[in-house]
Amino acid sequence: MDPQLTEVSQLFERFKAAFIRNDYDSCANLLSQLKVLLTKFRSLPPLFENTPNAINELLLAREIYEHAVVLSVKIEDQDAFERDFFQLKPYYTDAGSRLPPSPQEYPILGLNLLRLLVQNRIAEFHTELELLSATALENPCIKHAVELEQSFMEGAYNRVLSARQTAPHETYVYFMDLLAKTVRDEIAGCSEKAYDYLSIDDARQMLLFSFDQELLEYIKEEHPEWEVKNGFVFLQKAKESAPCKEIPSLQLINQTLSYARELERIV
Amino acid sequence: MTQDVEMKDHQTPPHSVSSAVPSTLHHLKEIASLIETGSYTKEVRRIVRAVRLTFGLRRKLTAPVLSAFLDFALQPGSEALARLSSFLPKEDEHEMEVDTATSAVQTSGKHLLPELEIYCYLLVLLYLIDQKKYNEAKACSSASVNRLKSLNRRTLDVLASRLYFYYSYSYELTGDFAEIRGNLLALHRIATLHHDELGQETLLNLLLRNYLHYNLYDQAEKLRSKAPRFEAHSNQQFCRYLFYLGKIRTIQLEYTDAKESLLQAARKAPVAARGFRIQCNKWAILVRLLLGEIPERTMFMQKGMEKALRPYFELTNAVRIGDLELFRTVAEKFASTFSTDKTHNLIVRLRHNVIRTGLRNISISYSRISLADVAEKLRLNSKTPVADAESIVAKAIRDGAIDATLDHANGWMVSKETGDIYSTNEPQIAFHSRIAFCLNMHNEAVRALRFPPNTHKEKESAEKRRERQQQEQELAKHIAEEDDDDF
Repeated sequence: MDPQLTEVSQLFERFKAAFIRNDYDSCANLLSQLKVLLTKFRSLPPLFENTPNAINELLLAREIYEHAVVLSVKIEDQDAFERDFFQLKPYYTDAGSRLPPSPQEYPILGLNLLRLLVQNRIAEFHTELELLSATALENPCIKHAVELEQSFMEGAYNRVLSARQTAPHETYVYFMDLLAKTVRDEIAGCSEKAYDYLSIDDARQMLLFSFDQELLEYIKEEHPEWEVKNGFVFLQKAKESAPCKEIPSLQLINQTLSYARELERIV
Repeated sequence: MTQDVEMKDHQTPPHSVSSAVPSTLHHLKEIASLIETGSYTKEVRRIVRAVRLTFGLRRKLTAPVLSAFLDFALQPGSEALARLSSFLPKEDEHEMEVDTATSAVQTSGKHLLPELEIYCYLLVLLYLIDQKKYNEAKACSSASVNRLKSLNRRTLDVLASRLYFYYSYSYELTGDFAEIRGNLLALHRIATLHHDELGQETLLNLLLRNYLHYNLYDQAEKLRSKAPRFEAHSNQQFCRYLFYLGKIRTIQLEYTDAKESLLQAARKAPVAARGFRIQCNKWAILVRLLLGEIPERTMFMQKGMEKALRPYFELTNAVRIGDLELFRTVAEKFASTFSTDKTHNLIVRLRHNVIRTGLRNISISYSRISLADVAEKLRLNSKTPVADAESIVAKAIRDGAIDATLDHANGWMVSKETGDIYSTNEPQIAFHSRIAFCLNMHNEAVRALRFPPNTHKEKESAEKRRERQQQEQELAKHIAEEDDDDF
């Protein structure tokens, strides 16, 4: 066996041991060493040279990056997640035909979809979705993320929140928690427009707080324009007047002048 | 996706087949001489005409005609002749021999033009694709592209862009589309360095098509946004570009822009390109639905498209009524059509629009309705219908889809009276945007009136020029005198 490959796999074993011990500091340390070592393999992307050990090297590298992605979730570092995921992606797309499928593939792809959803990058979410095959879409991990997006777009926030219990993978919980925060902001935004007032109890339930105190603090920080009075939260203090009485003269003058100029050019 | 290739000229005139062999060869020779003059005088439009004439002959190309023409056009014993002849099936056609012998003598004296050589490649490639010999076509097109890389002549651009197209097409037909991506990128770079705008245009479209074939929307968009853009040279390429652009934008949820591109592509496409127009219309329908618009019935009743657009018609109907149940059945019924069209994911996105339309209908018909009834009418399949309905309604209110308020304590939705729209600035704004559109259209039309460069100068004879110059001099003198008078 190639000495370089042995070295990397030994280091990787140590990484995995630290990973199981939840010793994330030494994990991160070992990971950066591993990444440096991986650059010496010529069979990995972007070179994809056909060396004799290519398959073994690709498999090892794929596993390392899979662990790196999961690690980044555990240390709650979204930027690292993005970086590691993009490094991992060619192993699924470009080298996919040469390697046996990885059991981690769908959970990680689903995790990435969830991340895009949390960061509200919906366009990228759909771009990623187009890359998935019909069988991938049937996978519970992917389906979970897709259904979340749908409920999110519809406004069925209860379904988004209850999805936390059905998370298909332990790593999903981190993003689901982040999502819960996004959902609360969304609900607050919607309620503001939809209700004139709410009782404090209802508002607390709706915004998913356990205590009135939390709700009041949230209102103070995020929505200081809401008014709390007599056990009610008034969401819209003044209604905007719909009909416009005034004539927007300046705008009209500008428009008319531009018509005149254009017509002159035609005649 | 393959339909969009049908954009090629189909107006093959129905000639009699009996006299086809000699007359086709005759036509080919005429085209060859056209190319020759075009090449010597550096006039690209002659070559464009030659290519156009060739597509009229396309259906009549046969192996004997082609080999006769190759013997005529290429130098005997040259490498190109040997290579190209090897792609053609051998047939003994003794009657042709006299003709070829005489013409070979004519050409052997002069130097072979690269244009003519490339043209021969194009002919053979067309023949191979029409005969469904895709593997040979692949070999032939790769050889031609390799040859093209070493040439740099502006008169070749037109022929080259056609060759690129068939190069990519032959690989697509055999399913090795991904293989040539690197090569296409290299060719695009070469075309950019040579300022070959037609080539760039063609290759960019081929690359976009290549990426979209594998759903690589991210890469496609990155390439598209960074590739140099210029005024379109070929209407067909521009149509394709708009179509691909529309698709990318649809996926990235920029529906308004996508709609514009797709509708423009559908309108600009030639009438003969039915398959392409159907594709454009399918996507345009979906985008309009996603935008919350309902396409007109005439869109589905266009000539020759009723059948292809049928699934989309029923889908539109479901969205228009706002019935989730009906929407679900339609989506299931035509699932195979939608997945071959690669529109399945877009249809999944539509669910949310169906709910919106349903909600809007409810909000218009009832001044006050309980949330439980709303949930029932929308047929939301969930465990907590009332809570779901409440948050869905709340979001619809925030997004401005309906004008209503919610009463949480009583659990009902109260629709607001629809105000008098003419008491607002709304009509004024709508009127302004229409006027602006018309004026802009006029300006664009004026700008689009193009005149070939230097046409007015060509007509001017030497005599006239002298006359003009004389007049100008006199005028200058007058002005000078007037200036003197002033002082």
